[in-house]
Amino acid sequence: MTATARRHEVMTSTPEEAEYELRQSINSYWTGGRLLVGMFTFFVASLAFTYFYLRSSNSGGLWRPAHVTAPTGTGAAIFAFSAVAALLAVVGYRRFQSGGVQDWKVAGWTAVMALVIAMGLQIYQLTQLPFYPGSSGYASTFIAWAVTNVFLLICLLYWMETLLAQSMRLRSALPVGETVADSASPRAQKFRGNLESCTFFFQFAAIVAVLFWALIYLI
Amino acid sequence: MSVIDAVPVTDSEPTEDYVNLGVFGRLTHRRGWLSQHLGTAVIGFVLGYLLGHWLGNVVAGGYSYVQNSGQNNVADTGGLLLGVLGWLFGAGALNYPIAKMMGREPAEERFDPSWTRYFRYTADHKVVGLQYIFSVLTFLFTGGLLAMAIRTELLSPTSHAFGPGTYIAIVSEHGTVMMMMATSIVVGPFGNWLVPLMIGARRTAFPRVEAFSFWTFTAGYLVIMSALFYGGFPTGWTGYAPLQTQAGAGMMSYLVGFAVIGMGMMAAGFNLAVTIVTCRAPGLTWGRLPIFVWSVLATAALLTLATPTLVAGGFLGILDRTAQTAFYVNEHGGSSYLWQNLFWFFGHPEVYIMALPGFGIVAEMLPVFTRKPLFAYKVAAAGMLGVALLSFFVWQHHLFQSGINPDMRPLFMLTTELISIPTGFIYLVGLGTLYKAKIRFEIPMLFALALFFNFLIGGVTGVFLSDVPVNVQVHGSFFVLAHFHYTIMGGLVFAFFGGIYYWFPKMTGKMMNKTLGKIHFWMMFIFFNLTFFPMFIIGLLGQPRRVFEYAQNLQTLNDIASVSAFFLGASFVVFVANFVWSIFINPVAAPPNPWDSLGLEWQTPSPVPYYNFERIPVIMADPYHYSEPNAPQLADLGVGSDRTDEKVEVGK
Repeated sequence: MTATARRHEVMTSTPEEAEYELRQSINSYWTGGRLLVGMFTFFVASLAFTYFYLRSSNSGGLWRPAHVTAPTGTGAAIFAFSAVAALLAVVGYRRFQSGGVQDWKVAGWTAVMALVIAMGLQIYQLTQLPFYPGSSGYASTFIAWAVTNVFLLICLLYWMETLLAQSMRLRSALPVGETVADSASPRAQKFRGNLESCTFFFQFAAIVAVLFWALIYLI
Repeated sequence: MSVIDAVPVTDSEPTEDYVNLGVFGRLTHRRGWLSQHLGTAVIGFVLGYLLGHWLGNVVAGGYSYVQNSGQNNVADTGGLLLGVLGWLFGAGALNYPIAKMMGREPAEERFDPSWTRYFRYTADHKVVGLQYIFSVLTFLFTGGLLAMAIRTELLSPTSHAFGPGTYIAIVSEHGTVMMMMATSIVVGPFGNWLVPLMIGARRTAFPRVEAFSFWTFTAGYLVIMSALFYGGFPTGWTGYAPLQTQAGAGMMSYLVGFAVIGMGMMAAGFNLAVTIVTCRAPGLTWGRLPIFVWSVLATAALLTLATPTLVAGGFLGILDRTAQTAFYVNEHGGSSYLWQNLFWFFGHPEVYIMALPGFGIVAEMLPVFTRKPLFAYKVAAAGMLGVALLSFFVWQHHLFQSGINPDMRPLFMLTTELISIPTGFIYLVGLGTLYKAKIRFEIPMLFALALFFNFLIGGVTGVFLSDVPVNVQVHGSFFVLAHFHYTIMGGLVFAFFGGIYYWFPKMTGKMMNKTLGKIHFWMMFIFFNLTFFPMFIIGLLGQPRRVFEYAQNLQTLNDIASVSAFFLGASFVVFVANFVWSIFINPVAAPPNPWDSLGLEWQTPSPVPYYNFERIPVIMADPYHYSEPNAPQLADLGVGSDRTDEKVEVGK
């Protein structure tokens, strides 16, 4: 290995380079968050396509015989808790932007609890179905949505929980008098970029929840 | 003028912000065989499989349909999924995600000079790129051996080496392994290895996602190969329902395998797309981006957006076989055509996932070996983006014979024909660059020229196939098979080998043996054409795909194809011999820039340092100003504190 190459084993940066790479890192969170939404959009759009394809095909008149519906009360509760979680994430983020870190934490932990309840209800609902999974196109689509929703809720839960846990550790790492909302520390700046993307993803999840609630329970 | 002024260098050691990962930190920071690596991943896979299978039996063993059929798909799926989870855990992929739940941040990964790094979960994009190269070669050679088995069976129309069930299982496994391999054959190895270097970045945007994509990809290989232990699957690589729902346990390996590899593909595409968008060096505007990077960007967009549909389709298939839903069961309110729609909505963009990076490699090499600027650079970039966009609107041509309203056929015939226009752009760029050029016929250039020859045949026959009247005649025949082998193998695989010969000196610091390289090329080129061209005729004469008996009058053509296929397989043996010879037996040190390329990747020291660039380069021009007397300066590499001491001159 050449001497030049050895020199590079530990990265060195000028302050300008460090700043440039920090910008890149924050932009990556922004771009990554949007791309993640694109990726999930194609996945849930596939499920929506499935819903409409089977509904319009109505093979053997078995799209939705006797208009069976998954338990509507539980379904509404799942939707409500998911929507509340998203609302809390958005409101909390707005408070965070104006310096209310504590408000965001309260909103965040409450959102986590709402998501856990929504997930629990979704799993409970799967055990209380009035139909067999393969009894109709609707029944099948419902099962796929329910499993997807559990996965989506786990993703939201994980993202918010890791941010909250990180913010607690950051508190002790930051200089006295600075908060994660206003610190110029690189880690705090990256945290803010990550949080912005997380909030964006929560909004996307809320839209998905509304759409599928309408598809599954209303139409 | 540089945008980064010369200032004293400061070490960016991980400081107050970074803590270790607790118990996971101790695991990851151990060196050598005491850390997590390939061996622990294999152990994790086996243990995970056993646990998942046991759990599946506990959960579903008592169900009447399981007891009646003697086949527990829940147990098989649970085994495969937990096997993959165990693989990732064993490799160390889950250390950081778990530690993150406790708010911990990773310590900065340090350079590890040990060779064991190639067997570990690492965030170094160059190591991941090399890991990918060996993995895709393993995929390729496994699929190739299965192809040899197919051609052995087809030597005779009536004497059989295999039974019909075994034959279709081999065909299915071959197709699936090859298609899985082909989706990552360029983006995985070259995308990860080269893109950060080409855009002047010190790493990718999400290095752990990049490593995750690789380890998921390899887990997918294990899952799909596990089908052989379950007796294989009979559907071919397309996995059509209702056969999918009726097939034996091997079908689970197909569905889970495709879903797992799909996750890896999405992760790879996501990371590379974000890297290209956000991590470019100062001055590297879109108009200066290397054309290979454009191709990776277009491919990454397709990987990120089209693959979720495949994963969704596989997910529904898994639900059908485990939770007893009825998505693909017509008799219970489902539709077998639903699978075709979901599969091909991914499947056709996948064709371009495979084609675009090949075009990118070739377009990157042409200016180097012609010493001319890339002709119509913007047209090439637009062509790639155009192909990527249009590829979302053509999937229904795979359903011309099934599951489509006949009135819709002309629309999709038109969109399919339209896509040949941006593809034609790329040919135009190639021909324009070659025009009046003094071509250096080095081995990479031979592969590049072969791509144009092969893909032309594949592309023109593709236009035939897009026309409904022809499609109706040759659908499901060897004609189709020959067409897509000409595009995928004749295009992508040739580009891949060209890329290996081209970037091998940069990656390893060694030159590949020229004589063996030329033998490899000519054997591969001649026998590829002798293998697949007769298949057009065989197809037009009526031989269907996936059938192990055929008409007596087609034996001569089949034998030509089979014998040629064996020589084609032998050409890969020559490549492996060259690879081993050049790395281990008789290594010859490569000059820093053996092809006199202007690409930024060639301006770094060899071997490339851990962080790629000592100073972030400032880009001042695109890298294609060959033979121009007043060419602008390409980049300011800014080595040392004085940014003016190392500049790359272009136009020589």
